[in-house]
Amino acid sequence: MTTFVQLLFAGVALGAVYALIALGFTVVYRSSRVINFAQGELLAFGAFITSWLVLTANLPFWAAFVIGAVATALVGWAFQVFVLRFALGRPEFTIVMLTLGLATVLSSVLPTLFGNFPRSNGDVFGSSALHAGGFSFFWVQIWTIVAAIAVLLGYGAFSRFTKYGLAMRSAAIDPEAALAVGIPLRRVYATSWFIAGAVSCIGGVFLGGYPSSVSPTISDVALLAFPAIILGGLDSPSGAIVGGFVIGVVQELTQGYQPRYIPALGNDFYVIAPYVVMILVLLVKPYGLFGSKPAERL
Amino acid sequence: MRRRRITTGVVLCAAALVLAACSTSTGGGATTTSGSGTSATTMTTGPGVDTSTKTITLGVITPLTGPAALIGKPLTAGQQAYFDYVNAHGGIDGWKIKLDIMDDAYDPQKHVQDYNSMVGSVAFIAQSLGSPTTAAIESQAKANSVLLGTAAQSSAFVNESDNLVIGTPYAIDMANALDYITQGLGQKNAKFALVYQNDDYGADGMKGYKAAEAAYHFKSVAEVPYNVTDTSFTSQATALKSSGAQWVMVTAIPTAAATLIGTAAALKYFPHWVLQGPAWSEYLMTSTGVASGKPTPIEKAMVGAWVLGFEAAWGDTSVPGMSQFLSITKQYEPHQIPDGYYMYGYCLAEAEAKVIAKAISEHNLSRAGIVNAKEHLGTVDFGGLIPTATYTPANGPGDRQTDIGQVDLTSPGFLKIIKPYFESTVAQSMTFAAG
Amino acid sequence: MTAVMSPGLRRFTKPATVVAILVVALLLPFMLSDYWLSTAAFVLIAAIGALGLEVLTGRTGQISLGHAFFLATGAYVAGWIGGNEHMSAAVWLPAAGIVAGVLGAVVGPFALRLRGLYLAIVTIGLVYIGQYLAATWTGFSEGAGGRSIPDVTFGSLNFTNGFSLGSLSINRNGCYYYLALIILVLAMLYVRNVTRSTLGRSMVAVRDRELAAAVLGVNVARTKVRAFVISSALAGISGALYGAFLSFVVPQEWGLVLSIQYVVMIVVGGMTSLWGPVLGSIFVIGLPALLQDVSSSIPFLSNGSNNGVIAPSDAANIVFGVVLVAFLILEPRGVVGIGHRIAGLARRRAAAQAAQAAQAPPPDTTTPTNPTSHEEVQATS
Repeated sequence: MTTFVQLLFAGVALGAVYALIALGFTVVYRSSRVINFAQGELLAFGAFITSWLVLTANLPFWAAFVIGAVATALVGWAFQVFVLRFALGRPEFTIVMLTLGLATVLSSVLPTLFGNFPRSNGDVFGSSALHAGGFSFFWVQIWTIVAAIAVLLGYGAFSRFTKYGLAMRSAAIDPEAALAVGIPLRRVYATSWFIAGAVSCIGGVFLGGYPSSVSPTISDVALLAFPAIILGGLDSPSGAIVGGFVIGVVQELTQGYQPRYIPALGNDFYVIAPYVVMILVLLVKPYGLFGSKPAERL
Repeated sequence: MRRRRITTGVVLCAAALVLAACSTSTGGGATTTSGSGTSATTMTTGPGVDTSTKTITLGVITPLTGPAALIGKPLTAGQQAYFDYVNAHGGIDGWKIKLDIMDDAYDPQKHVQDYNSMVGSVAFIAQSLGSPTTAAIESQAKANSVLLGTAAQSSAFVNESDNLVIGTPYAIDMANALDYITQGLGQKNAKFALVYQNDDYGADGMKGYKAAEAAYHFKSVAEVPYNVTDTSFTSQATALKSSGAQWVMVTAIPTAAATLIGTAAALKYFPHWVLQGPAWSEYLMTSTGVASGKPTPIEKAMVGAWVLGFEAAWGDTSVPGMSQFLSITKQYEPHQIPDGYYMYGYCLAEAEAKVIAKAISEHNLSRAGIVNAKEHLGTVDFGGLIPTATYTPANGPGDRQTDIGQVDLTSPGFLKIIKPYFESTVAQSMTFAAG
Repeated sequence: MTAVMSPGLRRFTKPATVVAILVVALLLPFMLSDYWLSTAAFVLIAAIGALGLEVLTGRTGQISLGHAFFLATGAYVAGWIGGNEHMSAAVWLPAAGIVAGVLGAVVGPFALRLRGLYLAIVTIGLVYIGQYLAATWTGFSEGAGGRSIPDVTFGSLNFTNGFSLGSLSINRNGCYYYLALIILVLAMLYVRNVTRSTLGRSMVAVRDRELAAAVLGVNVARTKVRAFVISSALAGISGALYGAFLSFVVPQEWGLVLSIQYVVMIVVGGMTSLWGPVLGSIFVIGLPALLQDVSSSIPFLSNGSNNGVIAPSDAANIVFGVVLVAFLILEPRGVVGIGHRIAGLARRRAAAQAAQAAQAPPPDTTTPTNPTSHEEVQATS
């Protein structure tokens, strides 16, 4: 039972990070129909720069966190404003490869700037844990869940109650109509990338918390989040977020129980299980569980 | 137009034919490469041996970038420092040693490319770091009798004539440690567990573990694998905790070991941790690897863990070779922090210098001559920095001794030797198949 | 969709020029150092795989990030048939292509259901599944530690020892170079025939306006599946040669990064051109080799001795990313497209001069030079 509860908690904490990543994806996708394959690298960038600010520049953690989030947000924003903007209207292949190009560049810039070795994320929680009822819960994981929920609620409020949120939602529904009523599409897109960057940084810093560390492979986590987002629905932030939490829990539980009960599947199964599920679902519903087929014109 | 097109074609063909006259063998087109043959002083030479400047060029293929750079950089520095010292003191019988260093980022493909690029111009490879990378060039090296200074403790290479391996294989370290715990400390009835990486390295640890289990019949309650890509060790930590293991042997890499131990500590599970050499790094303790750096979150949980190895404690002047080692380091690598891989590289260079000296004394610096020198090297004394090794045509591990260090905040490199070199009966009887 | 080709570029597909290029290619191994010869062999081997991707993505418009999966298949088939069953390359080389092609036929139908983004993500999943199988199916792949792939042998000819013909000696690198060259030439001839056939035209139709093509009677399903089969078969052969040349492969090789490299090859080279894959391959494989070679002379590139700022492999990666982005935005037709533009420019200048001399209005034969979506890319050869 202890094992189950521990794994479940770890899964929820991991799921919180996936939910943040999912939010980053859907914000960009909903406003501009772009899937940001560089989300993982933005996450890594945020984690590395925050860690560097704390460990080398000796800034207090919260200041470093804020600066790191802004820096990552700016990277995302800059990519949209200086690169992606010129690819408006291009075929999907071009858009996909552009974000992959960003990912490739970031994946080599990070070790060049920060070095390749794993390091602590510099947070203030360290290794402290809450012990209750025979279980141990790392404070950093508790705060991951709290922060993720706060960010998600905050974004929900932003989307529903502010002008920009409204603008983003309209751009998602019909870009041409939005333009027609005077919504500054370029600014909307740039804002969505800014938000995606900031949210990635938050996810990255928490992901690198104890007992994990910040290392270049931290970017791989985003690619594990993909299936969740697809299943939840690229169109629906709440669906994607739920998908994120589900995948996190499923991953921890699979990682914990599968090698013992079904050893024949090997030890890597938890990596591909979400993809297998996603592929099976897509065979039946090619636009995701909640997506709809776009009308095609000749 | 037509005339122009034909002219283009003819010109290109002619140019190609002229250039082709440069060489009649493929891959012979460019600069480098010293010839082979016999010089006037009846010294048989081979590639990489320049009799006019009396320089021997050796190749180094090592990760200088990427996560494995943590190992590659200091190891290479150790080799370079020793050879710098040798060159400054008359060389080896007047021959100077030059290192040609290439980065492979621990990628087998790059390793092969680097090997291909340098093999024609070096006498032998002074450093081929890593098991999968060395395996990638093994068959070619064997076919061309190129000696490989192999910086990898996996068992696959110890039985090969063309691999020069110093130090003790992982499997033997594991067996020695279990011997000490069950026999030496009388812990025969305790519960043991093994955490191992899901690859050849882990398989080596498992080999030693199983050999000891067969000999001493201790109770093994868990054998838990993990993948290099795993970031969460909750499942492994909970599995170990519920098994009730009191001694946990860890065949892992530093990040994995650290995450595992940290997770276990949070679960209030504190067994005796016994780490194999590669699972340890001084960077697990502080951000800079020395006491003045910022402590890492798992620093406290690591204190008291055992680390298996075959090296002397840095700075232990009771060891005969230590003072020369320290003074050479001070002179040629003054910024080097206490690091086991640096010491390893230094010792590897020492062994290689002896191979070269023997080859020179037999007037045979050809490829085959160098491999022959290694096979007949006999005993090599490293002044206690690592155990004395023996190399014979029968091959096998150079030595079978292990020492045990304990993580301690006040010692240099954070390790304090608690059990000096020893060799168990189990280890003596272990055999290794050719790779 | 008729093929329109700039007359300037036609120069490079005329028999005389092609023969000249072939002659240079045949003589190249004797002019290069071993380092560059092994790099050249890698270039040709990769070009075979890139050619496959060009057929699938460039010509048929199917986004695939799963190329690494088919390359891996070829390598492991080669390892199994050559290493475990000890058969000659005459068996495992075609077998690698066939097995990979069959798998391509299995994956192909996914493209019928899925579009664009979703297909891309499923192909990413394919790469992960491939790596999982490589690490777990130890009987076949020898697990996460990797496995050795035997050298190419054709009866008594073993590439490990090279090959001598009178006074000419060809070392191992040279052998692989020539084998890859022969296969690449055959593959290019095959693809050229495909592009001139009905299948080739159907592929372009499917790429440009799938719905319209279906309405016009093109069998979209069959076209897509055949594209996948051709693409993966070529990838299988390329992967098999690659594995044999490397002599040892680990599951980490076959990741998303490898797939992306192949996409960079076709984007930079030219997505619908026969020569595009070769040019792209020279760039993607050659650049890191070049940077490594000059790393001792360029101060900011780090190698063993100096303390440069950036590793050659990282520098190469950054260049790839930047170049990919630049080509996608500015010249989606790749280097071949740049060639078109230069040729077009030169021709128009010549035509303008001729017109001035004849005092007659210049004929309007301008070819489009604006970078538009790939729908207007010209098919060459």
